[in-house]
Amino acid sequence: MKQFLTVLKFELNNYFKNKSFVITTFLLALVIAAVVIVPTLIPGLLDDESETAEPDTSEELVIDEETDAEASDEEESSYGICVVTDAEDVNLDMICAAFPAEWKTYESEKEIKEAVETGDIEAGFVMESPTDVTYVVNDLSMYDYLGEMFSETLAECYKQQYLLEKGLTAEEILESESFYVNVTEEVLGKDSGQNYWYTYVLVFVVYFLIIFYGQMIATSVTTEKSNRAIEILVTSVNSNSLICGKVLAGAIAGVLQAGIILGSGFASYGLVKEAWGGLLDFLFDIPANVLIVYAVFAVLSYLLYAFIFGMLGALVSKTEDISKSSSPVLMIYIASFMIAIFGMTSDSNSMLMKVASYIPFTSGNAMFIRVSMGSVEIWEVLLSAVILVASCVLAGVLAAKIFRFGTLHYGNPIKLRTALKKANRE
Amino acid sequence: MKLEVNELKKSFGEVEVLHGVSFSVESGSALGLLGRNGAGKTTTIRILMDVFKANSGTISMDGKPFIPKEYQIGYLPEERGLYPKKTVGEQLIYLAMLRGLSAKKAKEQTKKWLERMGVSEYENRKLETLSKGNQQKVQLAQTLLCDPDIVILDEPFSGLDPVNAQILKDVIKEQIQAGKLVIFSSHQMSYVEEFCEKIAILNHGDVVLGGNLRDIKRDFGRDRLVLSSLGETPEELAEMLKNEFSDLLDVEKVQKDRVIIRKKAEENKPLIMQRLLEQGVDLEFFGLYEPSLNDIFVERAGDEA
Repeated sequence: MKQFLTVLKFELNNYFKNKSFVITTFLLALVIAAVVIVPTLIPGLLDDESETAEPDTSEELVIDEETDAEASDEEESSYGICVVTDAEDVNLDMICAAFPAEWKTYESEKEIKEAVETGDIEAGFVMESPTDVTYVVNDLSMYDYLGEMFSETLAECYKQQYLLEKGLTAEEILESESFYVNVTEEVLGKDSGQNYWYTYVLVFVVYFLIIFYGQMIATSVTTEKSNRAIEILVTSVNSNSLICGKVLAGAIAGVLQAGIILGSGFASYGLVKEAWGGLLDFLFDIPANVLIVYAVFAVLSYLLYAFIFGMLGALVSKTEDISKSSSPVLMIYIASFMIAIFGMTSDSNSMLMKVASYIPFTSGNAMFIRVSMGSVEIWEVLLSAVILVASCVLAGVLAAKIFRFGTLHYGNPIKLRTALKKANRE
Repeated sequence: MKLEVNELKKSFGEVEVLHGVSFSVESGSALGLLGRNGAGKTTTIRILMDVFKANSGTISMDGKPFIPKEYQIGYLPEERGLYPKKTVGEQLIYLAMLRGLSAKKAKEQTKKWLERMGVSEYENRKLETLSKGNQQKVQLAQTLLCDPDIVILDEPFSGLDPVNAQILKDVIKEQIQAGKLVIFSSHQMSYVEEFCEKIAILNHGDVVLGGNLRDIKRDFGRDRLVLSSLGETPEELAEMLKNEFSDLLDVEKVQKDRVIIRKKAEENKPLIMQRLLEQGVDLEFFGLYEPSLNDIFVERAGDEA
């Protein structure tokens, strides 16, 4: 036990004396605190945001956004338009009026393409008939909805025109669009919309912990073999103390780092919650029971993976071999992460999630998501936790055995199956 | 304390690397474990340190089974390695604490041994910034800082210049005088001759020669004589001996300045002397052959070199 504590202290010191570890931790904590606090210090910033968050009617919104965008660009976008057929029923005036911009008319499709290419106009519309339009643009960005907006606006125009022809007055048309059915949601279980974001962030925290620290833990286990200090260590320290000390040091450092960064976020939001007017509740207002389940499952599953990475570290004798041998475990974790994300976005109570929440490799994320976003019985949570704890212990024992067997095995990485077989025989 | 190793056998997979190694060593003396590369020295030491389990054979201390954990053992492995990115002091204190020293005692001992080895100015430097010889001295400090009852040194002199080798020699002599049990493996026979009362030469996993070094040397030189002449070169002398003395001796080796012969019978020495004088050989040296450990080693372990 004394040896274990000595190893733990030494290994923790490796992390805490590492400048990049300290700097990253405090920098990230500071950034999060700044992101939460600074907006509250800028007068007027949060008031504006709360206004734009108010729902608008869709028609106005389109126009608003359009004019907003133009205002921010401080110059009106210019578009070109041309009619290629001699279809006389294309009403250019109406279109231009409905879609406010600086319009230029061209004679042919070719001219419009040239104008777009030279940058005279941002985009062009070639009207083949009132209902067939080609949208010409130089580079189509991911978020370019101009084509759709044009189509919708045009359709709206035609609808109004049609209704007017049918004898309705403009007032009647406006009235026909004013029906509004108010639906109030009453959620008996959990509202995914409410808790999606914090669940997402918390799952990501574990993801980063495992991805970043897994390799570091494996490396720390391999270090002594790599620099041959193991020759001395193996004769002066129990190998169980050594590997447990190393893995737990990595685990503690990781949890502490995540804790400090998340804690900084929570603490600073606590300070300025009033100023935000509860606007960030979707990130920070997490029910206590969800937080507890998260803490337990995140730590346990992180520990499980930490021991598995420790085991991998014990299999190789050179630090440069780690990335190769650790990729299968990373794959397993990434698969578990994918299942978690899929469960979050689709149905957190699906069969897949239920099964995943008992398998130790996936239960960390899956059970947490079920608790956070779905409905779970307490016994399910406890059972899953017990399975996870048992798996951690098993992984720890196996890691120690493999470590003992692999300590003085230099050269090529040992295959996991061979190591398990031989370690068992010893 | 008397450490006895009896009939150790060890296999790795199908290959048996130790075929029954035996030797013994007592407190206050040093055993030289000799052997060519791959002879089984390090494996023997690792079994001694309980890193590997022997397939058969026993190790006992004063007649009781030897349990390494019950003793403070200072071990300098052949594969040197410590933490290159850590300061010298930090890692020595850590290793001392792992071996059961209190934090305070570990600090004291670290200071003491770094000073003794003449590297105390590097205490707060990272190990990787030290020269190879100084790193080696830090390793030695590491070996001795827990005041071990048993000191096991695997090739301690490799990488040391003559001045540093002298410091190490003094330290090892001190340890022997202080009643420590020292096991010493080396290829440098001169050092082994200097310290070791007993030797065990390992070859292919067998002890091919073992026991008290003085006895071994005497036995080895028993029927041999060394002679040299002022009048003839060793080659001429050897030629003459082959022609005129073949009834009494065989010429075994012609060296740069002397000839080594083997007597054909134990009582031939006076006869040879007499005949040499009759022949008018201007003798420069005539005496018993005392083999160097190197000669013995090459003869016993150099079978298929």
